[in-house]
Amino acid sequence: MSNAVASRAGLSTRRLAGLALGAAVALFVLAGVAMPDSTPGKVLRVAFTKSALAATLRLSVPIAFAALGGIFAEKSGVINIGLEGLLIISAFVAVYAADVGGSVWLGLLVGVLASTLLAGLFAVVCIEFRADQIIAGLAVWLIALGLAPFASQAIYGGPNTESLEGSFGTITVPVLSEIPFFGALFDANPVVYLMFAAVGLSWYALNRTSFGRWVVASGENPKALDTAGVNVTRVRYAAVLLSGVLAGFGGAALSLSLGQFIGNGATMVNGKGFIAIVAYLFGNYNPVGALLSTFLFAGLDALQIRLQAAAIIAVPQSLVRTIPYVAVIVVLALFGRTRIPEAAGDHYESGED
Amino acid sequence: MSGDDRSGGARRRGRAALERLVRASAAERVFISTAALVLSMAVGVVIVLAAGRMTTCGEAAAVYFGVGFCYDPFAVYDSLFLGALGNPINPLFRPLEGQFAPPFRRGWSPLNGQMAVTLRETTILVFTGLSVAVAFRAGIFNIGTQGQLVVGALATALAALYASPLVAGLVGTLVLIPFGLLVGALSGGLYGAIPGALKAYADANEVITTIMLNFVATGVALYLVAGPFKDPASAANETVSLPGYAIFPPVVFEPRDDFSVLALLFGVALVGGVYYLLEHTAFGYDIRTSGIQPEAAEYGGVDAERTVVSSMAISGALGGLGGAVYVLMIIGNYQTGIPAYGFDGITVSILAGNNPLGVGFAAFLFGVLKSGSIVVDVNTGAPPQLVGVLRGLIILFVAMPEFFRLLGRRVVAIEPERPVATDGGRPGDGGDDAGAEAGGEVDE
Repeated sequence: MSNAVASRAGLSTRRLAGLALGAAVALFVLAGVAMPDSTPGKVLRVAFTKSALAATLRLSVPIAFAALGGIFAEKSGVINIGLEGLLIISAFVAVYAADVGGSVWLGLLVGVLASTLLAGLFAVVCIEFRADQIIAGLAVWLIALGLAPFASQAIYGGPNTESLEGSFGTITVPVLSEIPFFGALFDANPVVYLMFAAVGLSWYALNRTSFGRWVVASGENPKALDTAGVNVTRVRYAAVLLSGVLAGFGGAALSLSLGQFIGNGATMVNGKGFIAIVAYLFGNYNPVGALLSTFLFAGLDALQIRLQAAAIIAVPQSLVRTIPYVAVIVVLALFGRTRIPEAAGDHYESGED
Repeated sequence: MSGDDRSGGARRRGRAALERLVRASAAERVFISTAALVLSMAVGVVIVLAAGRMTTCGEAAAVYFGVGFCYDPFAVYDSLFLGALGNPINPLFRPLEGQFAPPFRRGWSPLNGQMAVTLRETTILVFTGLSVAVAFRAGIFNIGTQGQLVVGALATALAALYASPLVAGLVGTLVLIPFGLLVGALSGGLYGAIPGALKAYADANEVITTIMLNFVATGVALYLVAGPFKDPASAANETVSLPGYAIFPPVVFEPRDDFSVLALLFGVALVGGVYYLLEHTAFGYDIRTSGIQPEAAEYGGVDAERTVVSSMAISGALGGLGGAVYVLMIIGNYQTGIPAYGFDGITVSILAGNNPLGVGFAAFLFGVLKSGSIVVDVNTGAPPQLVGVLRGLIILFVAMPEFFRLLGRRVVAIEPERPVATDGGRPGDGGDDAGAEAGGEVDE
């Protein structure tokens, strides 16, 4: 009992901290509006440009796709902490396939396939062989972190691949793309539209289809689902494979938009898979919520790039670059206490065998 | 209800997993680790062959089943393992063919340069492996050893640099090295305590926070060595080099090998120290019981929050020490682009079953792999990143003991899971969810 009281007290402190943070942001915005020539004013002016929104959307794609994948897996009861690895493997394979096949769309497809295969391996290891999901997820990440630069070294002679000739190009909606700020929504890379479509479809699948209900039940009360005659193992396999498909889109879009895979250090994925996990936790497992929190992290990233370019704040680049990571920690500390699916992380053994 | 918040569920689950790793009997642990290693190597053969098909080369290095491959996996493993030891085997020594020449190559000495590389990598991996092991034993997934190592390395490089004019000569060595190690341990420990406190008091999942803090550490370190603390005489982002007397003195090995037996002995002493701490002190008992069964630990009067923070601080301090030794033994200053010792430490610890004594062996094995990958690159042209792939594969295989149990049931009869006497608080036989999940056999 004392535990519950303590945790409630902790929550209120955190809520207070959250409110303080919100107030600080509001104050910053107010100052910016009141004094357009002050630093806050300049920051706001940079933040609300069409190019900033365009950058936010572009940076959101890998995180949002991975977050959607993470939602399906975790809702079904399998915590997929290996999203980062799925992004890395699809990012590399997509560029390689596009290079060999000569088409970015082929690259996208093969990238998705690679990520799905790796997710399938993860699913077998977790579901069939009852590996701990966290450790298996870490293994997926580390395998991809080793395999992608390894393959790149073998094929391209270095951890970075060569640059591709073609790219996705942009789809521009006439008139609407002329709107200030929001015009960026109508003048974007096709993968950005794919991202919005995936969010909508995921929301629909989770909330309006029987597959969605099975996924939720498999994570909340697998026993009941089993009793109802649905194979829990199959639902979990489907959900984990789906997380591979979705993360594959994210990783492939990331590298194909740039036209190159960068495999140095933490690779070009650079923690986006882990940020995606926080994005869907913060979004409370709701695809739309996950997209909005993705915008928050990607927006901060876009803003720091713009701020550096415009030289408004005299903070060095390497420090500003850590802002999204710090934001993730702050969000997790303030709002990390989300309710995870009851049976998430647990192995489920049907009584039949 | 513990299931009503994220931390409750995550903690419960994390513990169950770690418990399963810890609870396996020693023989089973050794079997699983060995089998995982062998299987990873077997998968590695396939990967090397596949990579050898995807690349282009003048003439095939190996031909199997009539197909030519650019890399010969057996030559790769030969370079990887024997190359790391300085190629000790006499080419005329072929016992299988009835040729019993002296087994060691003429002129081979165990004190060769490649052996020094192997041992110096081993030294750093002992620290990072212990760092991960302590956290895992406490039921905490510290993925942030890399960041803690970076912080420790930078702090040591700067502190030793600013303290170095005050002393000189042998006195300088005797003062600066312990001082540098202390700074590394303290700074790494503080940096490790941050995710510990976030987990204990704000329920922030430590897997995510420690990974994010790795990025933060690298970013801040880059800022510091590219800006305020940059060596003005260097084009690279690095600090001013430490004077010779601030570096671990080379004993037995050549100075150019950047390896000191003293540092390795310090690492070995720490292996014993951490083992003693975990197995024979009241605090270690608290850590282990919190890792295995936190409800029982709390019922027994363990302050759960404090245990989380202090185990993370110790874990971070060990990572920070790794960074300090890296600076004081290998590079002599702080440079950007520190190798991923922290991630290797995860594999080292998991391979060792999170047992400090096992970490010593696993660190040597990984030292061989790290050092051998350089030889592989030079001798066979195969990508040295192969070791990175093996690192992940080994974790994957160790993580699924069930796989080996199924496999083992066909080969040898393995006894069912038995709690190890030294593990102290052993979970109940059912009823409590942690015990039930660990077995995985109980219906929910």
